[in-house]
Amino acid sequence: MDVTAVDRSAVTGVSPLHRAAPGTKLVAAGLVMAAVVMATDPLVIAAVALALVAVAASLRLPLKEMLPLALYPAVFAVVFAFAAAPGPVTGALIVLKAVTAALAVVVLMFTTPYPQVFAPLQRITPTLVGDALLMTYRSLFILAEKSADLLRAVRLRAGISARQPIRGARATTRALGGLLLYSFDLSQREYDILRLRGYEGGLKVTPKVSTAPAADVAAIVFGAAALALTLVFRFSPPLAGYAWIAATAALAALILGVLLGRRSR
Amino acid sequence: MSHIHIPDGVLPVWLWVGGWALALGLITLAARFGGRAGARRAVPLIGAVSALVLVAMSSEIVPIAYHINLTVVAGVLLGPWLGAISAFIVVLVLALLGHGGITVVGLNTLMIAAEMAIGWALVRGGVRLLGRTRVGAVSGVATVLTLAITTSLLVGIVALAGTGGAVRETGALDPETLEFRDPFSDGVFSLGLLGGEHEHEAEADVDHEGETAEETSEPGLNVGRFAAVVFTLGPIGWALEALVTAAIIGYVARVRPSLVFEGALAADHRPRYGDEQGGH
Repeated sequence: MDVTAVDRSAVTGVSPLHRAAPGTKLVAAGLVMAAVVMATDPLVIAAVALALVAVAASLRLPLKEMLPLALYPAVFAVVFAFAAAPGPVTGALIVLKAVTAALAVVVLMFTTPYPQVFAPLQRITPTLVGDALLMTYRSLFILAEKSADLLRAVRLRAGISARQPIRGARATTRALGGLLLYSFDLSQREYDILRLRGYEGGLKVTPKVSTAPAADVAAIVFGAAALALTLVFRFSPPLAGYAWIAATAALAALILGVLLGRRSR
Repeated sequence: MSHIHIPDGVLPVWLWVGGWALALGLITLAARFGGRAGARRAVPLIGAVSALVLVAMSSEIVPIAYHINLTVVAGVLLGPWLGAISAFIVVLVLALLGHGGITVVGLNTLMIAAEMAIGWALVRGGVRLLGRTRVGAVSGVATVLTLAITTSLLVGIVALAGTGGAVRETGALDPETLEFRDPFSDGVFSLGLLGGEHEHEAEADVDHEGETAEETSEPGLNVGRFAAVVFTLGPIGWALEALVTAAIIGYVARVRPSLVFEGALAADHRPRYGDEQGGH
């Protein structure tokens, strides 16, 4: 889970989706989530997933970094499906739902900086929670980097190898202990800074304005279409046998998206 | 398996919406009670500890689908109120990175907040009972007990989702009956997934043979099998987590005891002169 890669893409990306308003993208992601919740047909949810990948490919988003993140919940979903699903089709539906929901949030996070995602949340949560969200965002990158450095140092100095698991585990936990102390010192430094600046609660994030109105419309249309598709197939039994058409169309869209992405290089 | 890795759209709507409502209520209370120390001190502390937990959780032990959580460590440092806020933040950020569903953020917040609060109470109680010198062992045992309790809660949540008509339902309200309907009540093939109506009928006939309609409409999540899996894989994770927690808390108790025994928000939050030498 490379949070720095997510942040880098969100902040430095220039695709139309990057330039769309964060609020619009949140609504679109919410519509896709609703589609995931409502879906009862694996082929329909697969179609939504393929369409999301098609969008990412056509906009040349970093799929190599996005797909592992989106597929990560599949590990847990497979365990859950194995443990609880009564049959393979339900199991497939559970796994596909996990991957599609993850894809929706990953596309959102790769095109929208964290603070812009947290900004709407700040309005509905207490000040302390909203501010702590932003402070976590700041601390996360510092600690992730420190953690990587510490573990590298531990590997070099303690000579961690597979042959000495106990020694390795001891050194690693000591590194984690060191990281904990570092994080506490970091919080004290941040406290000093906040005190110096006269902070009394209420960090403000200015919402980003859209510079690509067409992308705003497209995002909402995409989310609404995904939801409409799942609703149609859920509540129209005569159509249910034709879900493969949606999946095939999404596959065609994916191929087209990949070709478009390559062409725009 | 300390928090729910159940994907979106599997649990019934009433359950995850209820989870969100309870979680928002909890963090509102937590902000009121936990914020008494002042936002200046609480905000950076919650941020740093949440980031630490996120860094720990990003290390995955793939074969058993487990990762270190450090929730008990965070609970010991933050206490139950600030811990609840930290739980919400950690779960939300993880969900935004595709780890855990968005819809289950509320339930996950409740689970992790419970984990932090129980861990905090058990470590505090254990240290009071057995003394500061045994803080490492106390933390290890407290972690195992905490994870056993929260894993049972997890199974309880799945049982709640799987015992009624909402079994395997995807969370939607049936507009015709205004009930949470199980879309698979007639079997998955009834949706015509792999064929037309004839196959649907044939499949339904096979499914219904010798059974009443009511019996077949409640196939549900297999809670027994789910419990068997989490209680089989879980103890491996509990043991790992307990060892790591014991080692970390033991280490921190040696180098900066006030953090462990008084909490990170103790009145004198600066390390006192000589504190690094250990207080026990």
